[in-house]
Amino acid sequence: MGLFDGLARWLGIKKKEANVLVVGLDNSGKTTIINHFKSEEYKNHDIVPTIGFQVEKFKTKSLSFTAFDMSGQGRYRDLWQAYYRECHGVIFVIDSSDKLRIVVAKDELDALLKHPEVQRKRIPILFFANKMDLRDAVSSVKCSQLMELENIRDKAWHICASNAITGDGLDEGIQWLTDQLKDVLVKK
Amino acid sequence: MHILRRDKKEEEEGGGNPFHNLEKTTVLQEARTFNETPINPRKCAHTLTKVLYLINQGEQIGTTEATEAFFAMTKLFQSKDATLRRLVYLGIKEMSKIAQDVIIVTSSLMKDMTGKEDQFRGPAIRALCSITDNTMLQSIERYMKQAIVDKNHAVSSAALVSSLHLSKGSHEVTKRWVNEAQEAVSNDNVMVQYHALGLLYHIRKHDKLAVTKLVAKFSKQSLKSPYAYCLLIRIASKLIEEEGAGSDSPMFEFIEGCLRHKSEIVIYEAAQAMVNMKETTAKELAPAVSVLQLFCSSPKPTLRFAAVRTLNKVAMKHPAAVTACNLDLENLITDQNRSIATLAITTLLKTGSESSVDRLMKQISSFMTEISDEFKIVVVQAIQSLCLKFPRKHSVMMNFLSQMLRDEGGFEYKKAIVDSVITIIEENPEAKEAGLAHLCEFIEDCEHAVLATRILHLLGREGPRTPTPSKYIRFIYNRVILENAAVRAAAVTALAKFGAHCEELLNSCIVLLLRCLLDTDDEVRDRATFYVDTLKEKQKALNSAYILNGLQVSVIGLERALHQYTLEPSEKPFDMKTVPLASQPITEQRVQAVREPGETTAPKATDKVAASRQDVYAEQLARIPEFANLGALFKSSTPVELTESETEYVVRCVKHTFPHYIVFQFDCTNTLNDQVLENASVHLEPSDGFEVIKYLPCPKLSYDTPGTTYTLVRMPDEATQVTGTFSCTLKFVVKDCDPNTGEPDEEGYEDEYVLEDVEASVADHVQKVMKPNFGASWEEVGPEFEVEDTYSLSTMKTLEEAVTNIIQCMGMQPCERSDKVPEGKNAHTLYLAGVYRGGHDALVRSKLAMSEAGITMQLTIRSTDQSVSEVLASAIS
Ligand SMILES: Nc1nc2c(ncn2[C@@H]2O[C@H](COP(=O)(O)OP(=O)(O)O)[C@@H](O)[C@H]2O)c(=O)[nH]1
Ligand SMILES: [Mg+2]
Repeated sequence: MGLFDGLARWLGIKKKEANVLVVGLDNSGKTTIINHFKSEEYKNHDIVPTIGFQVEKFKTKSLSFTAFDMSGQGRYRDLWQAYYRECHGVIFVIDSSDKLRIVVAKDELDALLKHPEVQRKRIPILFFANKMDLRDAVSSVKCSQLMELENIRDKAWHICASNAITGDGLDEGIQWLTDQLKDVLVKK
Repeated sequence: MHILRRDKKEEEEGGGNPFHNLEKTTVLQEARTFNETPINPRKCAHTLTKVLYLINQGEQIGTTEATEAFFAMTKLFQSKDATLRRLVYLGIKEMSKIAQDVIIVTSSLMKDMTGKEDQFRGPAIRALCSITDNTMLQSIERYMKQAIVDKNHAVSSAALVSSLHLSKGSHEVTKRWVNEAQEAVSNDNVMVQYHALGLLYHIRKHDKLAVTKLVAKFSKQSLKSPYAYCLLIRIASKLIEEEGAGSDSPMFEFIEGCLRHKSEIVIYEAAQAMVNMKETTAKELAPAVSVLQLFCSSPKPTLRFAAVRTLNKVAMKHPAAVTACNLDLENLITDQNRSIATLAITTLLKTGSESSVDRLMKQISSFMTEISDEFKIVVVQAIQSLCLKFPRKHSVMMNFLSQMLRDEGGFEYKKAIVDSVITIIEENPEAKEAGLAHLCEFIEDCEHAVLATRILHLLGREGPRTPTPSKYIRFIYNRVILENAAVRAAAVTALAKFGAHCEELLNSCIVLLLRCLLDTDDEVRDRATFYVDTLKEKQKALNSAYILNGLQVSVIGLERALHQYTLEPSEKPFDMKTVPLASQPITEQRVQAVREPGETTAPKATDKVAASRQDVYAEQLARIPEFANLGALFKSSTPVELTESETEYVVRCVKHTFPHYIVFQFDCTNTLNDQVLENASVHLEPSDGFEVIKYLPCPKLSYDTPGTTYTLVRMPDEATQVTGTFSCTLKFVVKDCDPNTGEPDEEGYEDEYVLEDVEASVADHVQKVMKPNFGASWEEVGPEFEVEDTYSLSTMKTLEEAVTNIIQCMGMQPCERSDKVPEGKNAHTLYLAGVYRGGHDALVRSKLAMSEAGITMQLTIRSTDQSVSEVLASAIS
């Protein structure tokens, strides 16, 4: 990678950069998901609950991502909105095994969608129905019903079942997001 | 002239400073660019610098604005630019106290402090600790412990210093980091070692034994860091001071040993510590003085400066010890650095002989114009102490001071000169006329109203009693014509005093005062009207009570009493006697602000003139419903210790005297960490006639948390029976605490602890009052209830001793500086003034004569009540 990077920079070729906001309730697996995308050298082996937020960078084949990994604890959820304005896309992580709190996740999603900064933009939203490996996890279809995702009309969205620990489903999701963002960024 | 110069300077400064014209709103507007993607690091760094500049200039930023800027700044975490990131850490620290929700950056900072980029780790730790509150401390604890023992020195130091700051908020958590701090002390890096020692000390500083051990341990196992040594010296000298330990203590030996250390900074610290100790003798100081002497000839200006500055301090207490350095100091007089030269000369002035004074004064005047006000003040103070030391030289000094008064200089400098002149006048009657003349000249052209009013007050007090009072009138009246209202009012009062004291001037003073009746200012007019009417009565008693000696009540007390009076309207006129008196400031009471070892900034000065101690007590007592109808608080005694200092329980007693009652206030501290006391009260065994009315127990005395219990006692009806001895016992319920959890047991048991006796003395019934013109008061009270007797004071050796003892027995205020016995005299008269409980003026004249047989005293007491005079007389016998 190092060589190509150097060459690319020398030629003045730079990957497009995208800012994404990673939200969802606490313990849903946001930090673990981001960690999965990071290169081996920067991977974190000891994930602790996030306090506030953390910025992480990772790359896919055609995009450089800057991810704002927000804390999902109640005390911090009000602070997500400070970061809505600059983001090109949102990753919303749902713990599909935590049926009890899916309603809470839905409330937070509704608040996000209603926020003026989000409403005025056409940004793609990627949902991960995470922790699909757990026994009492609900399917992604069921998850999207519970979250009433079909009501989202003016934004592109996609839901993937995922397992952040093994990485299953994550690449598919991020591929969808990359395709969406490329369109947005090119038009800009 | 002064103002002009300043403008020019500002202009110059502005020229070199690109941020000179920054405007808050524009800068905050600009900070919105932090939100833009992609980030432009150079531009953002520039804007962030501006924000930091503004905050450091003391610009106030509102919470909303600050929070907005803060959140914008958090977005800069996506940039990897090192300069920008480090500015972000600074920004977080600066805004952590003004913006809201700053904990949003916690995880980001935790990531940086453990990350791969060493440059980020230390600053991230510092920023993290500044945003962390006690509730969050738990979640960062593990990382802090790791950072303290990190192998990167900058990281370790940052963690140690931040822990120290954190422990000011929450001692409990940082206490658990002691093992890590211990490990860091053995680090070879000088900074880490110093910071680790600082933290260790801070964690243990409330445990004297542990601190003693700490010093003992590290003074043997030699530390590598000179800074750590300096800190250890400071800790050791604080211990010496607290324990009153002498030169035989191991702490002292350690400090003395540091004089031979190889590092200059350690040597200097040790010398400085020895010089600052309260109890050292000139002989013990000798080794410290000789290292300072060596420093005087060092090629490094900082060392020379430090040495001469410290010698200057030594010279105040032990001038003889410094004479050995005179030659070196002489050499420094011509030092290129004027600060060093000034200190050298002023030190020489303090140590030199009378004969060298003239020469030194000449030398110093040659460069007075070249030194800053701060050093001019040093010179003024040196001159003042010289005057007191060589009273015969006062005219040379006075001339010098008056020359300085005429020169340019700021307020602080002028104030120092005026203070000095006043002190000299007060100490040396021979200097009085010359001093007053210089001050008169000064107020003719004085831009500082505070100084002018002060001098006018002094003229009013001292002028009438000089041989030719009339010569001051012109100077004072000029102020009435030329000055602002505050000064005019002071001048009117001064004029009235001349009229009241000097019969021959009465008529002309009245004429001048009559002209002030048309003044434009209310206060000036009111004062003039009042004085004219009073003076026209031509009654000595009135003059004394209302012009020469004035009001004696506490201003805060008066305000409170008047407020109370307006709340409950009554037919009766307001009674001045119900107002508490202004207590004379008790100098020993002033708490000396101590600087903690390792603390870099001195604590804020504490001697701001606030409510007096007594006013504070009055407030506290007024809030206790049980004491609601005791009447006005008359006097609060100074605290008396009822226990030895190192006992299980420490109890101090303050006696509050009311018209018919005494409230004994007991401040108790439980020094045992394995028990809690409940329902604690002090039982009194009263002597005849006194009766205990009520106990107000202290519900709970936890370890090291002071609590208060009160005992209310009624005084005997017989007016002359006012003194007695009370034996005291502290009674309470003890609950032992679980050694592990610190939780007290359910069940307790009763116990008691015998305290020392308390004494109600005559002094408890008398409040000190200053009568600036004692003679006038003496006439005012008159001889109706005079008591006079002659005593022989066989146990006293000197007049000074007799004077000190009489003042203490009577608890009254010495007037006319009669507490100072002039040298070489064998007769002296002491004048005391006070007010006795119930509002009776009381005056004492004590004529002392010394002969071979000892001291004899003729004691004359005047008051407005027979029994008061008798009680006061009984204080002596
Ligand atoms: N079994 C399982 N556990 C997961 C999965 N994703 C995350 N976790 C665990 O869930 C916990 C919370 O993850 P974290 O990334 O801190 O959640 P965040 O609060 O949303 O950032 C961690 O203990 C993860 O190991 C998953 O897909 N399956
Ligand atoms: Mg997280």
